[in-house]
Amino acid sequence: MMIDVIINGKKIKAEEGLTILQVAIKSGITIPTLCYHPVLEAQGACRLCTVKIVQGKRDRFVTSCNFPITDGLEVFTETGDVMMARKTIIELLLARCPDVEILRGLAEKYGIKEPRFKIGNDRCILCGLCVRVCEERIGRSAITMIDRGMDMKVGTPFKIHADACIACGACISVCPTDAIKIEDITGRRPMPIPSEFNEGLNSRHPIYLPYPQAVPNTPAIDRNYCVYLNSGQCKMCQDVCEAGAIDYTQVDEVVEIEVGSIILAPGFDTFDPKMKSEFGYGNIQNVITSLEFERILSASGPFSGEIMRPSDKKHPRKVAWIQCVGSRDISCNRDYCSSVCCMYATKEAVIAKEHDGNIEPTIFFMDIRAFGKGFDTYYERAISQYGVRYVRSMVSGLYERPANRNVIVAYINEEGKKTEEEFDMVVLSVGIGPSKKGIDLCGRLGIELNRHNFCKTTTFEPLTTSREGIFLSGSFQTPKDIPETVTQGSGAAAYAGSIISSARGELIEEQSYPDEKDTSAEEVRIGVFVCHCGINIAGVVDVKAVRDYAKTLPGVAYADNCLYTCSQDNQKKMIGLIEEHNLNRVVTAACSPRTHEPLFRETIREAGLNKYLYEMANIRDQCSWVHMNEKGKATEKAKDLVRMAVANARLLAPLQEITLEVNHSALVIGGGNAGMTAALKLGDMGYDVTLIEKESELGGNLRHVFYTIHGDDVQAYLEDLIRKTESHPRVTVIKNAEIDNVEGYKGNFTTSLIVGAGLRSVKIEHGIAIVATGADEARPAEYLYGENSSVLTQMELEKMIMGDVTAVKAMKEIVMIQCVGSRNEERPYCSRICCSHAVKNALKLKEINPAMKIYVLYRDIRTYGLYEEYYTKAREKGVIFIRYDLSEKPVVSMKDGRLTVSAADPVLKTRFDFRPDLLILSSAVIPKENEIMAGLLKINRSEDNFYLEAHMKLRPVDFSTEGVFVAGMAHLPKLIEETISQSAAAAARAAIILSKDKLVAESVIARVNPELCAVCLTCVRACPFGVPVINEESTAEINPVLCQGCGTCVSECPGKAIVLQHYRDEQILAKSKNSIGVN
Amino acid sequence: MVIGEGKPIEEILSMISDKKKLLVVGCKGCVTVCSAGGKKEVEVLSSTIRLARAKDNNPIEIKEETLERQCDTEYLVLMRGYINNYDAVLSLACGAGVQYCAEMYKSKIILPAINTNFVGVTEKQGIWTERCQTCGNCILDRTGGICPITRCAKSLLNGPCGGSSLGKCEIHKDISCGWQLIYDRLKELGLTDAYEEIIPLKDWSTSRDGGLRRIVREDLTL
Amino acid sequence: MRAEYPASIRIVRVPCTGKVDIVFILKTLESGVDGIYIVGCEEGNCHFMVGNIRARKRIVKAKKILETIGLEPERIEMFNLSAGDGVKFVNIAKEMTERILKLGPSSIPRNAVIMEDIEEAI
Repeated sequence: MMIDVIINGKKIKAEEGLTILQVAIKSGITIPTLCYHPVLEAQGACRLCTVKIVQGKRDRFVTSCNFPITDGLEVFTETGDVMMARKTIIELLLARCPDVEILRGLAEKYGIKEPRFKIGNDRCILCGLCVRVCEERIGRSAITMIDRGMDMKVGTPFKIHADACIACGACISVCPTDAIKIEDITGRRPMPIPSEFNEGLNSRHPIYLPYPQAVPNTPAIDRNYCVYLNSGQCKMCQDVCEAGAIDYTQVDEVVEIEVGSIILAPGFDTFDPKMKSEFGYGNIQNVITSLEFERILSASGPFSGEIMRPSDKKHPRKVAWIQCVGSRDISCNRDYCSSVCCMYATKEAVIAKEHDGNIEPTIFFMDIRAFGKGFDTYYERAISQYGVRYVRSMVSGLYERPANRNVIVAYINEEGKKTEEEFDMVVLSVGIGPSKKGIDLCGRLGIELNRHNFCKTTTFEPLTTSREGIFLSGSFQTPKDIPETVTQGSGAAAYAGSIISSARGELIEEQSYPDEKDTSAEEVRIGVFVCHCGINIAGVVDVKAVRDYAKTLPGVAYADNCLYTCSQDNQKKMIGLIEEHNLNRVVTAACSPRTHEPLFRETIREAGLNKYLYEMANIRDQCSWVHMNEKGKATEKAKDLVRMAVANARLLAPLQEITLEVNHSALVIGGGNAGMTAALKLGDMGYDVTLIEKESELGGNLRHVFYTIHGDDVQAYLEDLIRKTESHPRVTVIKNAEIDNVEGYKGNFTTSLIVGAGLRSVKIEHGIAIVATGADEARPAEYLYGENSSVLTQMELEKMIMGDVTAVKAMKEIVMIQCVGSRNEERPYCSRICCSHAVKNALKLKEINPAMKIYVLYRDIRTYGLYEEYYTKAREKGVIFIRYDLSEKPVVSMKDGRLTVSAADPVLKTRFDFRPDLLILSSAVIPKENEIMAGLLKINRSEDNFYLEAHMKLRPVDFSTEGVFVAGMAHLPKLIEETISQSAAAAARAAIILSKDKLVAESVIARVNPELCAVCLTCVRACPFGVPVINEESTAEINPVLCQGCGTCVSECPGKAIVLQHYRDEQILAKSKNSIGVN
Repeated sequence: MVIGEGKPIEEILSMISDKKKLLVVGCKGCVTVCSAGGKKEVEVLSSTIRLARAKDNNPIEIKEETLERQCDTEYLVLMRGYINNYDAVLSLACGAGVQYCAEMYKSKIILPAINTNFVGVTEKQGIWTERCQTCGNCILDRTGGICPITRCAKSLLNGPCGGSSLGKCEIHKDISCGWQLIYDRLKELGLTDAYEEIIPLKDWSTSRDGGLRRIVREDLTL
Repeated sequence: MRAEYPASIRIVRVPCTGKVDIVFILKTLESGVDGIYIVGCEEGNCHFMVGNIRARKRIVKAKKILETIGLEPERIEMFNLSAGDGVKFVNIAKEMTERILKLGPSSIPRNAVIMEDIEEAI
């Protein structure tokens, strides 16, 4: 039954049976407590919650935690006499426990400087919470109040270690003064649960969110540690959770799903550095793994982003990274390169330096493998801008200097000299290997693995496992970085989608809604729903006061509180209230639009309102959660936030989503490996494709590649690929075609081609375009190339090997020079494929003539991933690799009519002179002439003139211009298998558009008011996506389908002619001006 | 188009120091395109003025308006209904607009809010450069489409002078020699012969120093 | 993470800092707020490519305007942080609050006529 109580003069309705304190908490009234715990029986032990009650003419002091309310009871929580009484209580407690922080805080608040009583040195205030929890909840009664009178204290029976204690820590967790020492109670040692997310650098609770971004973002109970699930006791969480969300009966279920294809993406495990005992990981505290360092750097990590070393939490100055820990190392069965460590170490060093300028980072490495897009530039910047020191070396071991816990790095430097250097902290750049779970899974599925236990794949089928219908992506294939992983993910989706394309769309269920009401002529009637969110909001913010305030705001027709606004029954209630009160705008004062806006938009749509007539005031994340100790201010802020939201709600306008038809066919530009693969994948998924090639035959660069490093027959593959492409019923190939013009946008392009010698013009309509125009091997401008017929490029060598084996066999000595035209001032990028190309050809030459002397002059050997094996093999076969520095490049000249190569070896500090039969230049991969195409398709290019994707990591095959995708070397130099993965990925990304019947455009888009437009071109120039155009009516026009809704053009327009729908200037101003309260 | 830029705010504030009610008027023509006097600049300037005055506890009332153009009476006349409610008009139009406004509203104080700089082009977003000095007698046909009146510091008709060095003008190391530009352009066009020809004395009566210039098109006058 | 920050801050959501117009800054100051700061994504990480860079330039310009009229340019600022960086958010909130407290209340009188402009806009 609900009865009335009056707290501090305010009438409150409350359930009979509650205590004064419970009512106060629900109403957001603060009463200080020490011995109160919401799920333990109240005892009134500490007396701090003392309040004054008035019954009839009498008033008296009671402890609010255990005093039940009665009808008409009048309570005062903060009168002078109550405060005096509390002050005395705090004074007594503080005298007993002068070092307890919570008491000192209270003392300060209540104006106590020094207690008048005799000062003790206890920590325990004898509140008994620990005893109660152990008895009531844990059921062990391991501790109790022992001794009597002045000597009373919490302890175990007979003051000996209690067998009954299970070391669960409940007593510690409820103790308000941190007084309990577990070692006094039991001999068992509770182990903190290491936080998996933070790599065990700190601990976590048994109820926890696995990581901040976890989906679903709800906490989970760790059944291994839950006291209830292990002993049947406790259940405290169930009583604390007001939403009643705790269900202990949930168990794992076996769910069977029928599917047509499967994608494996089981990922990698990092190398356990304990296997390399010379690095002392696990023994030396200040030796950590790179993943641990990653967590240390993170703002959400164990030290909140502050860089500290584990042993003493001091800020390290000298930090070393040791590369190739568990990579390129035969001794631990990992004779492959982990591909990512050079860059992550560089990144960690740079970020560490950014966080703390005093850090001196040093990276000990063998070769720097910065082969990804923009990586070499980043690496160079790490050196020049951040002062990261790179030491080419072999690290032999680490040991600790006990005096200061520093770590000594013992290494052999490039000159072969043993050297030692002391660091404050050492980070091991651990390699990556196939995940154990993945290996087990493949065992169960009968999928073949290679000798490293990565999934076995082939060059031409990089995403296909040995079992039909099962595909794979990510670093379970080979170690790879984020962009390659994301690419493969999409690529695998193309494969998986192809074989089940006939069933596409079968499981779609259409949601139906009532007709939308036309509210345009109505006056504004806003409904405001102020959420308690249990005690999340109501425990801090006076939600009733906020509701009452909302009612006073102009335009508000209805306002009320909800316990959980987002609960299902409340959604139904809201729909009813919208109809009942004829509301045409809804504001929820609750949580974040990030998580809940879609839900509430859906709700009001179900009530027949346009979903854009909804606004949120975030009084939880932006208020109650972050101002929990300033309740008064929090309530005022909540009112302000509601006023701001209402101000905006009054200006909200219904918005219509624009839909447009989609042309379901594709245009693929470029008939090489990338273009054909993409076209075939799209065709297999059931889309019509036009593949255009500017030359007279398909094949592109692949026509000049004959074998791969693994020994695959490339020409046979190419022949098969061309045959499949030309015979595919959905693929139309147009050769000798050049693009003349491109019109339209995502979903509806029209491209004009000029075809053949007759310059026939052809128009193609298509929904998407894939750019697969490839790249070229540069013609070197140095080392006598073009002047001496014995100087060839790698591709020319390959042709020669295939053409005239006898001539090649007769060669006695061949020199190869790496990085010809790459990694220099003109082209700062790494061409990525030349190292494997050189190793491939060197091995081939050794196969033809094992006695041939082959010297490879290199800067860093970048045989990443599993290609490392071949680098090892080449050295085994006697290929000699000699390093050179960019400052002292090899010199090629003619001496006595013979080709002479002179190289300075920075290691041996001598010069070598070679007189090779052939000099092979590993020439750079350069982009094709692509400026015109970039203009036609409105796509971007990087500084190196390769096409620039929308996001280097997360959107590796998309352009920022929607509906256009990239595949193959047009994007970046890459190996055949990488091109195949990426082409499939482009097809999959394109299929997202092609598979839709209609495209729905965002409604939050910019619109031009032609009357105000000065046709000044500012928007055309300022739009980061190139969307605005000047139309035939001489006014700027923004295509609603292409607009991304950022509003940049709106803020640039000198004529104020552009509005961003849903964020109109007057809306934003209404909000920001209303941020000022009346008080 | 006509290129201008906002006057220093201190200058504007002192112009209006004794005004209590102000009409701030922009122009949707050239000055909108060069971001000197469009609706946006009207808002920014008005807000700035209000802030400056509120800060000194001397509030000012401002009406913000932006006319299609201030160089046509038909648009200017639109202000007649309210202009008298204000102590003064602050116009963000070019010099022509400000003057024309003053001509129409003889009893009103009309103040300029921008400096009118030159006739020029948008080089890039946010960057404008001069191209024409409105001499009224165009010779671009003889100079490869590059104006020596504008580009040469001395407006020489037959250049360059001795101050041209390495393609730059002696007045500043960053200013290209106009005549070097003309020569390079003519060379590109294969018209170096034209460069050899002396350009005769120019009729400057059409230029700025001949008093108020006027054009009458009989075919168009009504 | 629910880290506490000063309760004097009110957040106005925009789709991108590229939407923040110099006019918003000035007009909001006119209403008498003591300070405004813009929080955008890290530079180079704008979801809309360049919005945060445009915003920074506008803030620089707005600061210049304030300086010329004798209002403290420190009252407005631009910050960049990643969405996951709650610690930095809190530090910024504290830094800005401290800065404003040091400057004292704005010399522009508070002008809390609730919803004044809206009537017109409706």
